[in-house]
Amino acid sequence: MKFLKPVNPKAHQVDAAMELDKESDGHLEEVVAMQSVVGCTSTTDPGWEVDAFGGVAGLCQPMESDLYGCADPCWWPAQVPDVMNTYPDWDKGADSAGNDWRKLGEVFPADK
Amino acid sequence: MIKSLNPLSWKGAKAIGVASLIAFSGYVAGDSQSAVEGEDILQNRCMGCHIPEAQNPLQLSRISHQRKTPEGWLMTITRMQLVHGAVITDDERQSLVKYLADTQGLTPEESAPYRYVLERRLNHVEDTGSELKEMCARCHSEARVGLQRREQGEWEKLVHFHLGQWPSIEFSAMGRDRDWFGIALNETVPYLSEQFGLDKKVWDDWQAAEKSSLAGSWRLAGHRPGKGAFNGSMTAEETARDKYTLTLTGEYANGEKVSGKGEAILYSGYEWRANLNIGEESYKQVLAMNKSGKELNGRMFLRNQEPLGIDLQAVRADESRVLSVSPTYIESGKTVDLTIQGVNLTGNVDLGEHIKVLKTTGQTKDTIQLKVRADKVSRAEPVTVKVGEQKLEDTLTLYRSVDHVEVTPAYAVARVGGAGGSQEKVKAVFEARAYDVGDDGVAGTDDDVFIGIMPAQWELQAFDEIAIRDRDLEFAGEIDRETGVFTPGDAGPNPDRKYGTNNAGRLKVVANLNTKSKSLSAEAELLVTVQRWNNPPIR
Repeated sequence: MKFLKPVNPKAHQVDAAMELDKESDGHLEEVVAMQSVVGCTSTTDPGWEVDAFGGVAGLCQPMESDLYGCADPCWWPAQVPDVMNTYPDWDKGADSAGNDWRKLGEVFPADK
Repeated sequence: MIKSLNPLSWKGAKAIGVASLIAFSGYVAGDSQSAVEGEDILQNRCMGCHIPEAQNPLQLSRISHQRKTPEGWLMTITRMQLVHGAVITDDERQSLVKYLADTQGLTPEESAPYRYVLERRLNHVEDTGSELKEMCARCHSEARVGLQRREQGEWEKLVHFHLGQWPSIEFSAMGRDRDWFGIALNETVPYLSEQFGLDKKVWDDWQAAEKSSLAGSWRLAGHRPGKGAFNGSMTAEETARDKYTLTLTGEYANGEKVSGKGEAILYSGYEWRANLNIGEESYKQVLAMNKSGKELNGRMFLRNQEPLGIDLQAVRADESRVLSVSPTYIESGKTVDLTIQGVNLTGNVDLGEHIKVLKTTGQTKDTIQLKVRADKVSRAEPVTVKVGEQKLEDTLTLYRSVDHVEVTPAYAVARVGGAGGSQEKVKAVFEARAYDVGDDGVAGTDDDVFIGIMPAQWELQAFDEIAIRDRDLEFAGEIDRETGVFTPGDAGPNPDRKYGTNNAGRLKVVANLNTKSKSLSAEAELLVTVQRWNNPPIR
């Protein structure tokens, strides 16, 4: 971070987390990952349910703004249907996630 | 049939354009199939891609080298349909799940460590081992892996499948900073082969073990967070091999009575899955039969609101057993009414040296109502409830005062939903657990005594400065002050929030207890986050 200066709250968080990571011998990420409840993803760059700091303020939200940017390349395929391979038509007819999010359906049979 | 209980609703099918391919209904329902029918389905529906390796019984490539739970096989067959275009009717799929779970299932010992995921305990925090935490459990539960048994070659193919199907697995966090593929093949696969190898002998031994029909009458006892103790009875009538129709009646501690009907299937010789309609609500039972065939344990939860449900125990009505006691704690020096519930309760009641039975106020074969007086004690102590030869331990506590309170779950996730979208809101429910901290005066040490789950007044607070800044408390949801049930906010962008963000938030859930001597409080962390659209039974 020698040549980068944080200018907004999220950047300050990143900066602070890196310092904390150094102090904790690089174990910050693992600590957060351990806090994940069953089935939630601990892939937090960005995260889906939880951000790298254990909260939600660092997520891409509203998630509808960038949903397809992450659903296309399967970033959290266990939570969000990936349209690259598994569910290519999941977002069909819902071109604008911000406007059409109600059209996005469950991909597993409801009766299970 | 379950079809009539819960008509098929596969919203995703429309979205992914395969509604014409299959019309699912519950795999719980369906006629029991003979091995011959199962083999026929394998031959007719699977052999187009899977190569026969042996006959009598039919062995197919890939399929015959794995063992899974009923839910695991359901997810596999569903994936074959979705991704590989397998054509199979819903009835055939139900039969095939049953056939594969019966012939290539998991034993009770193998599924035991991971029952939380089958029982949909969505706020269970997995204590994942370092071998799988980064390679598997960063996307889905470790349980999803641990509930499979495969030969080494099959674990290798699973790695290849993952990389092919989701190539960004090498680029996301904990993938890009290492030789993910090399580690997966050279370290993770051998570990999985050792921990979760096919081990046919274990399965063969379980298949050969004697098993009993579950037909008959069952006594139920349980606990539902937010509602309290539950007692009831259930009758199972076997209509075909491993298939049952059910009638259930019960009552919560608050006096609320319930009754309903349903259907069940027994898989793998012990895996009980049932769907029941109780009043206006639809429930699922996920229970495991114990080896004696006299007891089922697990959970019964709302199908459209899985976090809400009963931790359930069912015992055959011809057994003799103490199942529950209410209340579960008695204050030092008090005289109270006490109810013992069980099956075929006969003999004298003995509550130990510090609780005297003053009077029996009512008795049936399953219920004993007493008036009891507790001695004065200086510290909490567990009380064994004895009725004749039967006893119940770790349930009743005599206590002097509450020193310490904890909220469970200590960390929970709820999800926004509703508002016209496909996903229901996912609620969360909390309970206050009261403790005597023992002579050392320190909570969390070995001499602590758990007193019981006590009523609390519930409230929400912002978790930190960021949550205050983002006004999470205003948008993320509400908690019922009496029951501790949290209901999250609506799904979708919220124009009233900064950047129109979702109704997500990071909150503290606070329990306040007012005892006669002091006020106590405790808190948990609640993350209110966004919905997910991929909700298989094993997450």
